[in-house]
Amino acid sequence: MAAIGQVKIRVPSGIKGGDIVRVRALVIHPMEIVERKDGKPVDKNYHFINRVIVTYLGKEIAQFDTSQSISENPFFAFAVKATDPGELKVIFLDTHGGRYEGTADIKLG
Amino acid sequence: MIKGRRRRAAGVWRLGALALLVACARNEVPTAPPSSPPAPRISRAVPEARGDIETLPDRKRRAVRYKGWPTEDFGAFRTYAYDDRRPEPRPASAPMPATPGDPAKGRQMFLSRNVGPCTGCHLVRGDDVWPAGNVGPDLSTYGDRNLPDEYTFNLIYDPRHVFPRTLMPPWGTDGVLTPADIADVVAFLKTQKGPVPPEKDAERNPATRPRPTGFGDNLDPTNNPAVVRAESAEALWNQKGPAGRACADCHAGGPAAAMKGVATRYPRHVARYGRVVGIEDVLSVHGPGTTGRPLPLESAENLDLAVAIKMASNGMPVALDLKSPENAAALRRGRDSFYRRVGQRNHACADCHTKVDGKGADKFLGGRLLADVETGLTRHFPTWRTSQGDVWDMRKRMQWCMTPLGANMLAADAVEYAELELYLASFDVGKPIDAPGIRH
Amino acid sequence: MATSIHRTMTRRGWLRALGWLGVALGLSSWRLGGARAASAQGHLADLVPEENVDATIKRLFAGRPIKDGASAIKLDLPLIAENGAVVPVAVEVAAPQTSQSYVKAIYIISDKNRRPLNVKFNLSPAVGQAYVGTNLRLGESTDVRAVVEMNDGTLLQAKRDVKVTVGGCGG
Repeated sequence: MAAIGQVKIRVPSGIKGGDIVRVRALVIHPMEIVERKDGKPVDKNYHFINRVIVTYLGKEIAQFDTSQSISENPFFAFAVKATDPGELKVIFLDTHGGRYEGTADIKLG
Repeated sequence: MIKGRRRRAAGVWRLGALALLVACARNEVPTAPPSSPPAPRISRAVPEARGDIETLPDRKRRAVRYKGWPTEDFGAFRTYAYDDRRPEPRPASAPMPATPGDPAKGRQMFLSRNVGPCTGCHLVRGDDVWPAGNVGPDLSTYGDRNLPDEYTFNLIYDPRHVFPRTLMPPWGTDGVLTPADIADVVAFLKTQKGPVPPEKDAERNPATRPRPTGFGDNLDPTNNPAVVRAESAEALWNQKGPAGRACADCHAGGPAAAMKGVATRYPRHVARYGRVVGIEDVLSVHGPGTTGRPLPLESAENLDLAVAIKMASNGMPVALDLKSPENAAALRRGRDSFYRRVGQRNHACADCHTKVDGKGADKFLGGRLLADVETGLTRHFPTWRTSQGDVWDMRKRMQWCMTPLGANMLAADAVEYAELELYLASFDVGKPIDAPGIRH
Repeated sequence: MATSIHRTMTRRGWLRALGWLGVALGLSSWRLGGARAASAQGHLADLVPEENVDATIKRLFAGRPIKDGASAIKLDLPLIAENGAVVPVAVEVAAPQTSQSYVKAIYIISDKNRRPLNVKFNLSPAVGQAYVGTNLRLGESTDVRAVVEMNDGTLLQAKRDVKVTVGGCGG
């Protein structure tokens, strides 16, 4: 079983300064959906990613408000303008207080 | 393939003193000549994957199945078991009810997923008909043919009266539809007449519907969670099991290095085991036999390892031995299974997955495009299934097919499935392994 | 609140009752707003309501005009989704992000979902281009729209119909 919270990030290679690159980040997560019993929703603390934060060179550049209607093991693709070499970080936060992060090094050719 | 194995026993599934899920295996020594099918043995799959039927306190029988799968017992109908010698049900008839059927009820039944749906194979009129298939003829103008009611009734009751080699199920003979149900469908089909309204929607009609486009790069870990699962196998490889040993003790370098090329040769007959085995079967015996760690089929560990072992051969062509007497005989039996009609729906794999004779490959069954066995259907297994949110191996895929067919499933490691897998894999020979896949 | 208050309360009893009151109030305000417990944000009360898409649009955009953005927004979706569990979507706005003019947010809304808003992507000029992608869950065949919000508040929308394939022998 892949453990909940494992993060995978893909950044292209061969980046030149100023390029706008497309990044993909995936986290293993059940993204629980609302259960229904006899047609009525069941109340419980559903476990899903509700926020994603992207930082680049230590600064927050994007942030996503996510919900249960995003697929299990969610992936997010987004762009980054690669101005300088440095760390890209993606932080996934979930409704149970979970915080999962992955980093990728932006290297400029 | 196995270096330094200490516990070689004269017999076959002998597991020595190790405490395991299974007490002792039956028929361990192969005594039958290679051409006859191997004798049954105890399954090494997880409990919900053994094809067991339990009897409840009220004496009803219920199938023990994976969570969420239907549990109806279809014991009355043929299975793939080699010792199931029951013939196909013979075509039966019943008198057509005197009162004419209700076309509205007939339409509801025609579209209902609880029964057929008939739209799985047949297109009819209506914007709400989604998704219809084209395995069978388009019935949108059936009423124009003015066929006698009794003819249509008998045809639906058991199509083999009219088309002896049809793949349409014997709805009445096998008790899926009652005579009253069929009369309703007959009444509905008679309404399918007059000018056909113009198609507003190219997707509605399977003849003009675009093919599915898939789920992207199957080897990208930011796309296919099964690739991430394979990483768990790397960790497991190095962990010592209850017997104090790890896979890595004999297979150094992790699965990617140690298992390179191995998957290209499976499934195959292994003399030590006395039967055809696939990767998952080998794991379920070899794992506990060496490390002491049970790796029952359909457990997460077995699946993760199977993915990793298959990945280790990515890009390498499938290279099965189909020539040895044992493998050739198994291949024949697998082929027979492929063409064997089973279940309440009386279907064979070939009905959906070959192209000749009006069969279903490359047509839509409901919204699903049916795959052609000749393209090779095993080299991307185990595969991620987006509709299930999980990795499925070939055995689970075969077991699931039994659900719409109305047949009881066998154990995941049943030799019948292994030999059927061998037959399917014979069409992958020469083609590069590309696992794990990512599919619906 | 669990304690019942008797007429003949001792001082200790009152303090204890008031203590429970304090705890009970603290817990409920924790849930209603402000600092929510980070580990319990998934309850029904924390979710946006189940609502019709018109209510979602009203709630998010408060009647602001939404212009047709079909020429400015590239919305990638399959015509037919093999299942509703994983429906890939990508949205791209051609114009580059500059500090003067940039896409501030992209909302993905699936009209027939019980809670139509799937995700809101908040972007900054630093991303370089307004490009986002993810996998959606769709409850049924539905229109899916991308609403793009510019930094000056302008709203643009592109929309596509997605048919979801249900059932079949594949499960």
